[in-house]
This record gives sequence, structure tokens and C-alpha cells, in this order.
Amino acid sequence: MASGRRCGLGMAVLALLLVAPFPAEAEADEIARLQQQLEALQQRLEILERRLAAQDSRPVRTPELTETPFETELLGEAVTGAERLEEARATAVPEPSPIRIGGALRFNHFFREDVRDSRTRRGDSGFDLFRLNVDGEIRDIILSAEYRFTPDMDVIRSGWLGYRFADDSVVKVGIHRAPFGLLPFASHNYWDGVPFYAGFSDNHDLGIAYERSDGAWETRLAFYKNEELGSAGTLARYAPDVVRQGDQQNEEINRFNARVAYTLGQDTGCEHEFGLSGQRADLLNATTNGRGSHWAAAGHLDSRCGRWNLQLQGARYVYDPDNPPGVSNDSVRLGAFGTSFDLAAKGKLAVVNLAYNFELSDSWFDQVVCYNNYSRLIKDVGGGRDSELNTVGCSVGAGPLYAYLDLIFARNMLFFGEGSLAGGDDDRWRSRFNINLGYYW
Amino acid sequence: MSILRRPTLLFLIVLLLVPAAAADRLTVVSWGGAYVKSQMLGFILPFEEETGIAVDVLEYTGGIDDVRSQVRAWNVRWDVVDMELFDAHRACRENLLVPFDHDTLPPAPDGTPAREDFLEGSLLRCGIGNVVAATVVAYDHERIERAPERIEDFFDVQGFPGRRGLRRSPKVNLEWALIADGVPREDVYQVLDTEEGVDRAFRVLNRIKPWVDWWRSGEEAVRLLETGRVSMTSVFNGRVFDAVQRGETFSILWDHQVWFMDVWVIPRNGRRQELAAEFVRFATTTDSLARQMRYIPYGPVRRSSLEQIDPEIRRQLPTAEENMVTAIEGDAEWWAANLDRLTERFERWLERPVMVPRDRPN
Repeated sequence: MASGRRCGLGMAVLALLLVAPFPAEAEADEIARLQQQLEALQQRLEILERRLAAQDSRPVRTPELTETPFETELLGEAVTGAERLEEARATAVPEPSPIRIGGALRFNHFFREDVRDSRTRRGDSGFDLFRLNVDGEIRDIILSAEYRFTPDMDVIRSGWLGYRFADDSVVKVGIHRAPFGLLPFASHNYWDGVPFYAGFSDNHDLGIAYERSDGAWETRLAFYKNEELGSAGTLARYAPDVVRQGDQQNEEINRFNARVAYTLGQDTGCEHEFGLSGQRADLLNATTNGRGSHWAAAGHLDSRCGRWNLQLQGARYVYDPDNPPGVSNDSVRLGAFGTSFDLAAKGKLAVVNLAYNFELSDSWFDQVVCYNNYSRLIKDVGGGRDSELNTVGCSVGAGPLYAYLDLIFARNMLFFGEGSLAGGDDDRWRSRFNINLGYYW
Repeated sequence: MSILRRPTLLFLIVLLLVPAAAADRLTVVSWGGAYVKSQMLGFILPFEEETGIAVDVLEYTGGIDDVRSQVRAWNVRWDVVDMELFDAHRACRENLLVPFDHDTLPPAPDGTPAREDFLEGSLLRCGIGNVVAATVVAYDHERIERAPERIEDFFDVQGFPGRRGLRRSPKVNLEWALIADGVPREDVYQVLDTEEGVDRAFRVLNRIKPWVDWWRSGEEAVRLLETGRVSMTSVFNGRVFDAVQRGETFSILWDHQVWFMDVWVIPRNGRRQELAAEFVRFATTTDSLARQMRYIPYGPVRRSSLEQIDPEIRRQLPTAEENMVTAIEGDAEWWAANLDRLTERFERWLERPVMVPRDRPN
């Protein structure tokens, strides 16, 4: 636009020149005079152009420029064509939707060496799970929920609303994972480990939690009013909780959780998380209306160094129920997966997991992690043999497909022969080969 | 008429009428922001002033689609375009550009022919280079425990502790990975041309992957350094100058800088090709490039332009002699042919964690 105005001014100057009278006898003087006029007009033009330039965004001509190098403060940031293109590409990446809908469809194939039918059929295959997930964050409000459909039950696993504070700490209200021990899982495999079946890993309850990080320190505090479904008699639940079944009429209420972890070498290629956890709850007995108690404490190490991961955990727990006379205090009844089972009222848990993430070049697979997970329950009451699980296997990811290939060995373990988490004396190692194949979106 | 009897006056009038009648206008297409401003102040306004030819400057965002459609329709509205090098190669191969006669370029002030004055590779069959921008390693010399001296140090997280910043692109990263693995700079693209070579580069990147924060824009790269999140990062050299002007204590490791350049090209079938060529010649004179460099910290493609720049400033430009000793010229043609394929592989590689993932499908 400025150049257009400049042309207009030029034409005006020309018009002035063309209409001016010129005496023939003083041509040389006239030309000199005209040149002076021209110069004056040119100066005037320059002044006008500068004013125009000041009005427009276009830069002014060089006389006003200083010799200072790199006038980037005046010019803004220096960006070449090459970089601009990269920036344009970067900004062209669409913003992800604040709410994401996901889910999974999974199938299982398993072979149980200790079950004759399974041996005869050379394993069984079947539908494992269909789940839906909703996750999102709008401004500082966070939402997360998961609902599962399985052959045995349809159940909510988690569902909470959160708020993210300015310091990035988060408060959650709803059904969420209790902060205890190794997080988020105390295993790498599909079948999980003993702490899960004892209710001390990946256990979701209804309550409020606060999580914050201060450099290498991470703190999680939580309070759970009760188990997640508001009905301690319900057995269809994702993870084991104390349930009221038969003569065992206890339920866990008013539980406090605290977990503190420190990561040595945070944000390096070799991180070691050391953590301490504790929880304390009341055990309300519906028969006596009395209150017993429960506490548990754990220490853990989660070391991720290069492609290796070593997980160690030791935990101690006590359930001290207020049972009526005639009901044993040596165990409490847990319920999950549509069934119930007993857990020694006092015990110790040990976890030793080792995993390796294989380096893959340009292969079909995105991830291959192989592992050995060992976990053990040492029963302090009831006199039973320890319950043990050892799973050796690999998890393989390729795009949306993810599979676990696990060879599970168990001794005196729930769901394996006559194994039990309370008492029990099954001293035989039993095995199960399990392939779980899932499509995740 | 008396006026017609005055030839000198008539000549003056004709001279004035030529620009005023807007017969000679030129449309130059470039990028935006500070870059085009440096061009305006460096040579576009002086060109207008010296020739009386009005220059209309348009912005674009790269690529050759517009040029292709104009040329094929014989309706060329863009007289001169400032293209990325690999776009210029593509457009030239597609016969969309006018070949440039390098002998018409003015020599350096000391008489050095243009062919010797321009940096190697900056005189293309269909275009003339203008400025050079480089990707370099930068660090905060006030914070870093031990300053890197070679590009290999960037990949040595034991000897030079701290996190690293890298651009989320295979470009430059693969070149540096091979250099760190002992490949001579002149063989880098030859090695990358083989699957084994690409595997080798990714293996080197694997070594530092757990320590890397990936950035997409130059601004992010600078922020990583400013906040102390990383101890070193790759970054476009111009960004470092900006940060230093703001008071940051950043330094550049020039070893194995990877440089790319922008190129002036003239689309075929235009009506003002001669004028366009005149503009390109003017825009790439020693004086024009030196003048432009006052306003943007990138390197001129003429050696003689460098000589006109203050030595203190000159040594901070990518094309300074001492900075070019181990420099790698980004192979625009190679990347034009391989960028899509390697970006796909790079993104997939990026998604694969090195550490055992904390979370897992469940």
C-alpha cells in the first residue's frame, strides 16, 4: 500500500513539473532550478514516505537504520525459512481432544497342567474382557474412569474427578488406586502377584487422595471411607477387599494411606525409587458392631536402569478383627472376581521382580519386555504353608495389539489346586501357561 | 510544442515516468517476521531506491505447489521466490524454475569472481543461495559442569552428565549420531543411504534416549536450556543469539554444525524474468548480504560479505571460517528423498521406551 501511495506522490510531482512554464532563453538556469526543485521534492517525498512507513507496518528506509548488529530486539526473533517451515509443521499438529475415549478387547488362552480337562483339550481359549475408558483434562479438572465387562462380572475399576493445582499437585475424589507399595503395579505380568490377591496392590477404593511431587520426592496421602462399591457384601469387584460373607462379617472403613518415595537419579537413564508406605483402617464387624483394626506397612525399591528394571518390596500387615466368639481371628475374608476367599490375618509379603526391555531395531514390534516375577506370602497365623507365585514371561506390543505370554508357577496359591492365602498345605508347584492377547485403543 | 524541443527535460520526465507508471513492479515471495524484515532493510528497499522498481513482498509457508500451479497455467504471479534448498531442488527437477547464469553475478569488491566468492553448493543450476542457518549444540556455560568440545561429547552422558535436548525429527540427529560413532562427515549421507547405516545411527541415539527431552520448535529448545532442564541441546543458531541478547549465558558448540540454506529462484514462464534476475543479482551482492546480516544472525553465502562484518560478530556466524571447519552441509536432496520414510521410523522409534515402562496395559 505504501508503494502505491509513493507512486501517487510521484505522479503529483510530475504533474507540477509538466504544468510549470519554462523560458526558452534560460534553459540551463531553468534546468538547474528544476534540479533543485526535484531535490527538494525528493526530500519532501522521503519525509512523507517515512510518515507513511510509520503508519504502515513496513520498515522505513535505510537512512534511519543504525549500524548496530543484530537488531533482533527491534525485529523480533530471528527465524529463517528453514526453521519457519519446521515451526509451521510443529504448530500444524492438531491439539489432542481434552476427553479421550479408549478401551480394550482381550482374549485368553490358557493351559493348566494340573487340570485333566485342560490337559485333554490342550488348553482353553475364551473371551477375557471388554473395557471402556474415559480420560481427560479440561483446564485443571481431571477425569478418569474405567468400566469392565468380563464373563464373570461387569464392574467399575476406577472413576474419579481430580483438580490440578498451580504447583501441579493433584487432588482426586472417587474410586482410585490406593497408594501402597510399588506403583502402579507390583508385577509385570498378566496374572499379577501375591500382593494383588491379598489386596495390597492395584487396589481401588472410594475416597480422596492428594498427590504431589517436590523434585525427587513424591508424596501421596489418601483417605478411604470404605471399599469402592458401598456394599461390603458384593463379591463382584475388580480387586480384593474385606467383605462380609458367611461368619466373617467384617468390612474395612476409614482407611488412611500415606506413601513417600524418593527417586535417586531422577530424569537420568538410571533411576532408583525408594519408598515407604503405610495404611491404617478400622474393621467394622456387622455382627458385634465392634471395631477391630488393620494396619500395613511396606518398603520398596523400584530401580530402572537402562533397559533393566528391578523391583523389591517387603510388607507387613495385620488384621485384628472384632469377631464374635466362635469365629476365627486367624483370617479375614476377601472378595473379588465374583468369589470370596480367606487371607491370613497377619502376614508378610515379599516381591522380587526383574524385567528387561529389549532393544528393537526396525521391527514389527514396538516393545518386548521379558521378566521374572516372584512374590510370596509368609503367614504369621494359621500355620499354613507360604503362598508363592513365580511368573516368567514376556509382554509384546505391536501397534494397538498387546500380548502377555506367561508361564506361571504357584505353590499353595489361590486358584491353583487347593492352594490358599490362609492356611493351606499344598506343597506342589503347579503351573499354568497363559497367553493374553488384547486390542487396545 | 516547446516542451518537445527540450530533450534534456524530456529525458528527465521520461526517467520520472518510468517508475511512476508502475510498468516495472516485481513480486518477491519470502517468509515472514524478522527474516523478511532483514531482507527489506538489507536489500529490497535499497533495490527499490536504486532502480525505481517497486517490490511487492508476499509471504508464503514453503513448498512448491503454488509455483507448480502458476508455472503450468502460464499465469506466473511470483517473480522471485525465497525457497528452502530441498524445495528448490525438487522444483528444478520438475523444470519449474529458470536456470540461472552464474557468470552474470557480480564479482566481489576485490574482483574475485562470484563462482569463487560464493560458498560451495550455494550456486545451483536453478537458484542462488542467500543465507545459511545452522543447527548447533548450545549450552549454558554458567551452569554446565564441563563444557563440550566435540559433538561426540553430546552423546557421552557419563563424561558430560545431564539431560540433552534434541529436535523431534530425524534430520541432523542421524547425522550427528553417525559422527559420534566415528563416521567421517564426508561419508555421513553415504552411510545413511544404507539400512545398516540408519540402524547404526538409531543404535547411537538409543544410547542417550533416556536422557533426551524432545523439542518441536526452536523456542522450546531455548526454554529447555533456560530452565536448566537440559545441560545441552541442539538448537537453531539464531535462537542462541536471541537468547544471549536477552542476557542468557549460552554458548555454541560449532563442531559439526549442520547447515542448510535458503535459495532465490525464478519460476518459469514469468513475464519479468530479466527483472527478476536483476533483483537476485542485487540481493546477492557482497554489500546486500553484508547489510542483511546486520539484522539477522545467519551466515551470508558470499565470503566477501563476511569480510565486511565486524570480526567479533563474524565469528558467531555459521559461515565464519573457523566455524565451518567441521561443518556438515545438510544434504537437502537426500532429505527430500528420505524425510518421509525416516520420519515414520523415527516417530515409531521414539514411542519405544528404553526403560521398562512403569505402566502397562491391564
